[in-house]
Amino acid sequence: MHLPGITRRDFLKAVGVTTAMAATGTLPPVLYAGERRLETYPEKADLLLLTARPPQLETPLKYFKELITPNEALFVRWHLANIPTSVDLATWRLVVHGEVENALSLTLDDLKRFEKIEYTAVIQCAGNGRSFFDPPVFGGQWLNGAMGNVTWSGVRLRDVLKRAGIKAGAQEVIFKGLDNPPLPTVPGFAKSLALDKAQEDEIMIAYEMNGRELPLLNGYPVRLVVPGWYATYWVKSLSDMEVAARPFEGFWKKSAYRIPDTACGCVEPGSTPAKTVPITRMTTRSLLINPQDGSRLKAGRPIELMGVAFSGGYGIKEVSVSVNGGQDWRPARLGKDLGRHSWVQWYYPMKPQKAGSYDVRVRAVNSIGESQPLDSLWNPAGYLWNKIERNTLIVV
Amino acid sequence: MRIRLLFILMTICAGGAAGAADLHRITLPPPTVSLKEGAGVYVVRRYCSICHSLDYITTQPKFPKAKWQAEVAKMIKVYGAPIPEESVKVISDYIAAYYGTGS
Repeated sequence: MHLPGITRRDFLKAVGVTTAMAATGTLPPVLYAGERRLETYPEKADLLLLTARPPQLETPLKYFKELITPNEALFVRWHLANIPTSVDLATWRLVVHGEVENALSLTLDDLKRFEKIEYTAVIQCAGNGRSFFDPPVFGGQWLNGAMGNVTWSGVRLRDVLKRAGIKAGAQEVIFKGLDNPPLPTVPGFAKSLALDKAQEDEIMIAYEMNGRELPLLNGYPVRLVVPGWYATYWVKSLSDMEVAARPFEGFWKKSAYRIPDTACGCVEPGSTPAKTVPITRMTTRSLLINPQDGSRLKAGRPIELMGVAFSGGYGIKEVSVSVNGGQDWRPARLGKDLGRHSWVQWYYPMKPQKAGSYDVRVRAVNSIGESQPLDSLWNPAGYLWNKIERNTLIVV
Repeated sequence: MRIRLLFILMTICAGGAAGAADLHRITLPPPTVSLKEGAGVYVVRRYCSICHSLDYITTQPKFPKAKWQAEVAKMIKVYGAPIPEESVKVISDYIAAYYGTGS
């Protein structure tokens, strides 16, 4: 039986469910912790379903064999049940208000008249890898598929803010999208950036992913792109920008998406941090993509390992690979460089002579020397996962 | 008169076409998860699915009852879930028994 697009680990979890479906022809049964099922959502490929309302869908690792993640394959993560399922460009507007000289109400065509910029950047959910936390934590139980590498096109946030004219004394920009809470008591999703950050050259209001319009589930018609920072800031279906005189105090900044205020963003597993700060920049990561963890190889037959590596906006300087559980490390060859926000593909030739189990590890270092920890770092919300992964390749 | 009517019709059709081109719509598949039968399952279905699909429960790791109690309390305190106090125990007992560590 061949199930394309899911890792062996996914496969082991999904196979029972799939078999049951095939046998009975009925609706899939209940999925337990860690189990996954492939589902096709509108404008999306078969992705691993975490939750349906609101939708949270994870990208199977096979898609990361490509340098660019297709729009259909990019993960989906919404916070609140009332997500936009239709957008009419005749009435849709992006409004800019608050501490500005001229409030703006822009159509998509208005927006497209600003200078167009384009770059490739990794988008990654703050909770990517949360399912590997030990002890486990509440939240979306992502494996490693809440990420992707996309070429974004759009306009500079700075240019739009400049058109509005920021008044003296303004401190932050607050971003809201078209999604709404299921109850009035649930805090509506909103994020903010300090004015300095918001005016950085690369912060983008994106209207294209890989040269095409965004799928609705990924934030059509426009979303914020904050390269180097976790996707919680990349507000989807962006519709409202408020320039504020005071720092934003909303729930999604004051209570959620926070990490321990320690050098590693971590605390003793199971403990409560004394102080927390908002999560911002991504940690450095590298992953083995092919052959996948758990694959079987033939002794004596050469094979090229490949994977991806990325960091929070500083580019990857080197990737090392160990095929003996971290005793010896050798440099991997790096593929095409699409800039400091893109991930880079790495390649490593391996010719396993003896049969047995090989413990394969990958480690990346970025251009400012940041790397990955040997052991997992823990925090209560399950963020910043970037330990050196242990993969097993079985040689027969 | 005829020409004017034709003109109006053409305008409506053109407008309709433009409107369709501007509208981007998707239809989401309905949640399919169904909880295991057991004491309290109706209470869980009734309250938890107000805000989210029930796979938010079934996809979580196995947690003890105390953790689920705290989680249900958070739903009330932080998100304003309209769960009556007497149902908190019913909900956390059910989830701990069927999707948690049991105790």
